[in-house]
Amino acid sequence: MPQVKIIAKNFMDMVAALPAMKLDKLYDNTFICEAVLRSLPPLAKKYALQMLYIDVPVPVKSMEEWVLPDGFSKHRVAIDRLIQLRVFIENTDRKRETSYLLHPKFKSNLQKYLVYGGVLPREPMPSNITVRLPTLEELDAYALEQWECFLLQLISSSHAERLTNFSPSMMKVFQRGLLSQREKGPRLTESGFQFLLMDTNAQLWYIIREYISNSEDRGLDPADLISFLLELSFHATGEAYNINTLTEIQRSIIKDLADLGVVKLQQGRKESWFIPTKLATNLSVSLSDSSSRKQGLVVVETNFRMYAYSSSKLHCEILRLFSRVEYQLPNLIVGAITKESLYNAFENGITAEQASINMPLALESLLLFFFQSCRNIFFTSRSNILIGLKSSLVVGVPRFWMVWCLNFLYFLVYGFMGFTHLPQEGIGMIAPVN
Amino acid sequence: MASITSKLYSDDVSLLVVLLDTNPFLWSGENTTTNSLSFPKFLTHVFSFLNSILLLNQLNQVVVIATGLNSCDYIYDSSSSPTTVESLENGRMPALCSKLLQNLEEFLARDQELNKDESPPGIASSLLSGSLSLALCYIQKVFRSGPLHPQPRILCLQGSSDGPEQYVAIMNAIFSAQRSMVPIDACVIGAQHSAFLQQASYITGGVYLKPPQLDGLFQYLSTVFSTDLQSRSFLQLPKPVGVDFRASCFCHKKTIDMGYICSVCLSIFCKHHKKCSTCGGHYLVSCKISGFQV
Repeated sequence: MPQVKIIAKNFMDMVAALPAMKLDKLYDNTFICEAVLRSLPPLAKKYALQMLYIDVPVPVKSMEEWVLPDGFSKHRVAIDRLIQLRVFIENTDRKRETSYLLHPKFKSNLQKYLVYGGVLPREPMPSNITVRLPTLEELDAYALEQWECFLLQLISSSHAERLTNFSPSMMKVFQRGLLSQREKGPRLTESGFQFLLMDTNAQLWYIIREYISNSEDRGLDPADLISFLLELSFHATGEAYNINTLTEIQRSIIKDLADLGVVKLQQGRKESWFIPTKLATNLSVSLSDSSSRKQGLVVVETNFRMYAYSSSKLHCEILRLFSRVEYQLPNLIVGAITKESLYNAFENGITAEQASINMPLALESLLLFFFQSCRNIFFTSRSNILIGLKSSLVVGVPRFWMVWCLNFLYFLVYGFMGFTHLPQEGIGMIAPVN
Repeated sequence: MASITSKLYSDDVSLLVVLLDTNPFLWSGENTTTNSLSFPKFLTHVFSFLNSILLLNQLNQVVVIATGLNSCDYIYDSSSSPTTVESLENGRMPALCSKLLQNLEEFLARDQELNKDESPPGIASSLLSGSLSLALCYIQKVFRSGPLHPQPRILCLQGSSDGPEQYVAIMNAIFSAQRSMVPIDACVIGAQHSAFLQQASYITGGVYLKPPQLDGLFQYLSTVFSTDLQSRSFLQLPKPVGVDFRASCFCHKKTIDMGYICSVCLSIFCKHHKKCSTCGGHYLVSCKISGFQV
C-alpha cells in the first residue's frame, strides 16, 4: 500500500523541513544521527557510510559512476534525500562543479559509533530498587491493550471502555483527516479506513506526526520532541529508567506516551521510572518489518456469513464498518455481509479491495466479485466479472464450483435488479477464461 | 551467474556471516603482503566494519566464524548478546570487541592444542571448507526461523593459500550456497589470488576483491561489501577478471588441467583407474578429458 510509506516517511520529511540551524543542532545528538541514517533508503545509507572517512568533497560526476545505468533513478532519489536532510552538503567551486561532503557533526558522531559501538542514552536503574518489573510478554500485552484502547477512542468514543488522558481537543487533532462529521455522527473516511488497516508501527508514526505538528500550539519545540522520541527508540525494552533523568518537557511528553502504550510508568517507594515497550524500540525500525499485530482468523462462507476468531474490540469495530455484526462470543465475532452494510461502506468511500484485504485468500475472489458487481451496478457500468474469475483461478478455487457460484450470484443480482442494469459485456453463462 | 535478486526481499535487513582467517602462519610475518597489516590492525578494521553493519539497520545481524588451522568455531553472534553498553566513561571496551576477543583467544588456544603433534611444511592452508559449512548451517537455521528472516550472505576474509585437499568439500559448500541463493563474497588479504574463492563468488553471484592497499581495508569493506543484496543490482561492483576453474584430482589432491572423469558420478582423477573410488563404477574404455569448464 503506497499510502503507508508516504505517511511514515513524512516523519523524516518533518525533520527535513526544520530550518537549517535547528537541524544542525539536532545532529549534535548521536542518537538522532543514527536514527536519521537508519531511515534513509538503502543506497543512501551506503553513500553515507562510504563518505564517513572521506575528507575531500566528492564531485557529483564521480558519484554517478558508482551506480549502473538502470540504477540511476534510485541514485537520484538517494542523493535528493541526503541533501534534503542536510546529511550531504553541496559545494560549488569556481569551476561550477558541484561536489558533496558529509555534514561534519554527523560525520564525527557516526565515526564514534563505528569505533565504540552502540551506547545507551541513559543507565537503567539497578534491580534492587525496581521491584517486580513486568516480563516482556506482560509488557507487550500492556502496550497492545493501551494502543487498542487509544485507537478505539479515536474511531468511536462511544465504544471505548476506558478513556485515555488525552484532552478532547488533542483527540480532535488526531481525528482530523481520519473521521468526518456526518449528520448521524462522526464517520470514518477512506483515509481513516486505510489508517486502520496499516500496521501498528505506521499507525504510531502517524499519530506521533500529528502530535508533533500540534506541539507548537502548546508551546513545545518540535525539535526537542523529535530528539526525545528518537532517543527513546534506542533504549532497551523491558529495562527501567529513572524519571528524574528527564527534563520537565520530557516528563510531560512521557505521560502522553504512556497513554499510547509506548512506555509504562511505574512507581516505587521513593522513585518512579518508565519502561519502554516494544512500540518504543520499534520507532526507528523500517516499515516492512513485522509489527506487534494481533493474530486472528476470519472465515467467510459462501452465504456471506462471517466468523472472526478474535476477542479484540478494535477488530469488532473494523468489521462493523462493512458487515453486520450479529453476536459476539468471548473469542468469536459472528456477522454477515449484507447489501446494506456494503452500501454503508461504499458511502464512506471504502473500496472493494480494502475490504477484501481482511478476508482470507480462498474466498477473496468471490467477495471481490460480489462487492464489485454491487458497486458496478449502481455506480459504474464496467464489468469486472472477468477480473473476478481470473483472480479465482490464481487462488485455486475449483473451477466448476466457482462458475456455479458466480452464475448463481449473477442470477440473484440480476433477478433483483430486474435485468435493467446489465453491465455492458459478459451477459449470460460465464465460461472460465484462460 | 545465479541471480540472487530472484529471491525478492522487501527491505535491507541482512545477516552477514564473516569468516575470519586466523591462520598463525599467515599472520606471523612470512607473507609479504600481510607485513603491512598486523593482526591487531586487521582486527580493528574488521571491528569497525562489523559496527557499520550493525549501524545500518536495527535488525541487522552479524556472526563471526574463525577459520583456524585445524578447526573452526563460532566466535561471535550479535543476536545472542546485547551490543550496547551503558557508558564508556570508565574506559571499558565496547561489548562487541571484548566478547569477540575473548572468544577468539580461547579458540586460538584450542586450535593450537590440536596442532602440537604435527609440523606442516610451509604455510599450511586454513580450514575454509569447515567454516563455510558452519556458516551454511547457521544460515539454514535462520531460513527455518519463520517467513520474515534477514537476507543472509557470507564474507570470507581469507589470506592463506588454497589447500587442494579441501577441493571437494569447498565445491560442495559452494553448490549448496548456490542452491540456497546465498552469495559468497571474498576479500583476499594474502599475497596470491585464491582460485577457490574466485569460483565461489562467480558461482554464487558474490563479489571477489583483492584490495591493493591493505591500510585502507575498512574503506574497501564498507564500499564493496556493506550493501544489502537488493541494492547490489544497482551498483558498480568489482567484476571477476578471469576465473581459475582448475580442479584438483580426487586421488592425490593435486591441481590438474587434464584428467579422467567417471561417467557416472563425475569424479575427477589424474590417472586411469579401473574402478571409481567414489561411486564404485567399473570402466572398460579409457579416455582423457581436458580443460574443465563449469
